[in-house]
Amino acid sequence: MKKVLENKTAIAIFVLPALIVYSVIVILPVIWSLYYSFYSGSPGLKWEFCGFDNFLRLFGDSNFKASMAVNLKYISIVMLGQVGMGLLLALLFYFWLKRFKNVIRTLVFFPVVLPTVAVGQLFQKIYEIQPNYGLLNSLLDTLGLTGLVQPWIGQASTALGSLCVMDIWVAMGFYAVIFYGALLDIPGDVIEAAKIDGAGGLQLFRHILAPLLHAMIITCLIFSFSGTVKMFESATALTNGGPGAATRSLSMYMYNVSFTYNKVGYGSVVALFIFMLCVVGSSIIRKFDVKE
Amino acid sequence: MWEVEDEEKSFSRNPAAAMMTSLLTGCGNKQASDGGGQTGAETESAAKTESAGGAEPAAGADSVKPSAAEDPKLTKNMKILSIWAEDNDNGVLIKAICEKYQKEVNPNFTWDYEVVSSDNLRQKVATLVASNDLPDMFVYESGKPIVDLIEAGKLVNVSKVLKDFNCEDALNPSAVSLLKSLSGTEDIYDLPLGMNVEGFWYNKALFEQAGCQVPNTWDEFESVLVKLKGAGIQPIACGAADKWGATRLLNSYLVRIAGPEAMAKADEGISNYTDEDYVKAAQKIQDWAKAGYFGEGVNTVDMNTAGSMLMTGQAAIFYNGSWFTSNLNDASQNLAGEDGIGFFNVPVVDPYVSDESSYSMNCGNILSFSQKNYDEATGWFMKYFAENMGDLAMELQGSVKGYNYTVSAEGASGYTQLVLDTINNAESAFTWFEATMGNEVQNVAKDGIQTLLTGELSAEDYMKSIQEAWDMSQ
Repeated sequence: MKKVLENKTAIAIFVLPALIVYSVIVILPVIWSLYYSFYSGSPGLKWEFCGFDNFLRLFGDSNFKASMAVNLKYISIVMLGQVGMGLLLALLFYFWLKRFKNVIRTLVFFPVVLPTVAVGQLFQKIYEIQPNYGLLNSLLDTLGLTGLVQPWIGQASTALGSLCVMDIWVAMGFYAVIFYGALLDIPGDVIEAAKIDGAGGLQLFRHILAPLLHAMIITCLIFSFSGTVKMFESATALTNGGPGAATRSLSMYMYNVSFTYNKVGYGSVVALFIFMLCVVGSSIIRKFDVKE
Repeated sequence: MWEVEDEEKSFSRNPAAAMMTSLLTGCGNKQASDGGGQTGAETESAAKTESAGGAEPAAGADSVKPSAAEDPKLTKNMKILSIWAEDNDNGVLIKAICEKYQKEVNPNFTWDYEVVSSDNLRQKVATLVASNDLPDMFVYESGKPIVDLIEAGKLVNVSKVLKDFNCEDALNPSAVSLLKSLSGTEDIYDLPLGMNVEGFWYNKALFEQAGCQVPNTWDEFESVLVKLKGAGIQPIACGAADKWGATRLLNSYLVRIAGPEAMAKADEGISNYTDEDYVKAAQKIQDWAKAGYFGEGVNTVDMNTAGSMLMTGQAAIFYNGSWFTSNLNDASQNLAGEDGIGFFNVPVVDPYVSDESSYSMNCGNILSFSQKNYDEATGWFMKYFAENMGDLAMELQGSVKGYNYTVSAEGASGYTQLVLDTINNAESAFTWFEATMGNEVQNVAKDGIQTLLTGELSAEDYMKSIQEAWDMSQ
């Protein structure tokens, strides 16, 4: 093996096919977007070189800023929610659930395999208020909490929160399974020893489990970050970006700009910004992955 | 289904002939303000062409003329892009006319039919334009969306083809005027696929229960809403989840207080979206929402649900177009029965500004033809399409599509007849709220209407946001 790895030709043979595929489907489109970003209009329709106009426009575009604010809020809430709830569920499976744990794990994981559009439709019904109360409003009404009955996805103040709840519900099972697998990898005698030394639940988590799960937490955060930064299909299915622009993400804005407004050049600038957001965000999360 | 009548007799009651030639927005007011002898249609078309820079597109300039007096039966495989499946809505008609043309005229004619969802139509067409691969014939949206394609020379000049193939008279002149106005050109670059009238549908039983009469004036309308609300009935079902269901209401009031050309004026920069009347119209809709006329969570109700609420007696009034008759004619959907739903035009505020004979009308989605793929075979098909679509639509669906027809409409359901009568009674027309807006402005108007309804955006800020989007787009 050592001989093979010293042979540069062999390395090239191993790496090149994947590098070519990666370049064609990832790097080339990014470069293409960069090229497009210097043009106004849409290819085939008023396609003209415009220099840095598209980049300058980005800074004064209130719609872009609003979409970015929505995206950042969504990332913060959903990323922490998915990973946090996933971790809590995994701990629940590991320490407390002795019976039916397979059934419960399957049930919690089940939303992951549901199509996003179906989940969107399901939650539209759950949040429904007109013509009939949905599950949530019916429940609140039955409990006498009529003051809380409201159009959850029909008003800007609650729409984003409602969307976040849906997306946390969908993905938390996925992270729970990952964390559960990581917990199983922790030697039982380490946990046993901590318990013998008198570590309580919180101490056990803080001093034993968290450090041992650290790498997995970082990986899950990056997974979740890259999933949430592209926020698109769930918001489209549940609220279609509304009401107003309350749940319109950067990806949705980019899509609108490029294909509805026919401004592919400016849409490419927004796409490049999303790409940069992904790179910077992932780098920041990696900063926490410091080897002790 | 329909009996074919004596051509001359039935043609005399053809809505195309009966309907006004000056259908377009506010012809009366336009004439007065311009002081000229032009019809409203002429005036508006001219203004629009000028505003587009006066550059008449090159499309169609080299259109292929017929080589023979009769269809030479040329081989053609026509690629069609539609938003309707072949067994649904206009898809039925497109399929039927292709089959009829193949059977009766040209056995060498074949077609490929591709369906794309209406939500993705613009994106699909934009992508096809970028790859210079527009299909021979495709469904698109009238108004602003086709202007870019016209200016880029991507579309066949339909007026020129119809003239070359000697079938200009096949189209309803009102539909032609409307299409010209919407594209802002002197020729048409699309064929109509509808002749729709819009207004308020109401549940007769609920009106009777609340002791309401059909309103003619806006004050009467407001009284009806108060009465209905007082009787514990939801006055209006508004499909604000689809956004346009709400902007249509705003437009209704705006047109009645500011005149039918209000939106065109704002688009041309003659007036601002932030002017008093525009803000007043937005305020009116917000006030209605605050008063609870739309029920709870108006933004979660789509147009289908809203229509269903009307038909099942959960709401008394619903704004929609004449295409809603397909739902009304379906007994499984319409629990109100064959005569349970009525229709009234947008009530009048000041008849000198906009009177009761002025209706909101449109041609629905339209059919365009790729200039790149245009050939003589396509021209012959277009001729057949234009000359036969009127009869076919009346026979198969009892609907008016913007073409002259020679068959009788007798035997149509009560709702269909109601629409035909209404179209015949219309003396002038105004377009919908977003008709004159570019894509960006349109999106801002549609997105903002939802937060306007919830009160999270004031009427002033809503109109200001539209004005800003318009400023940005200039």
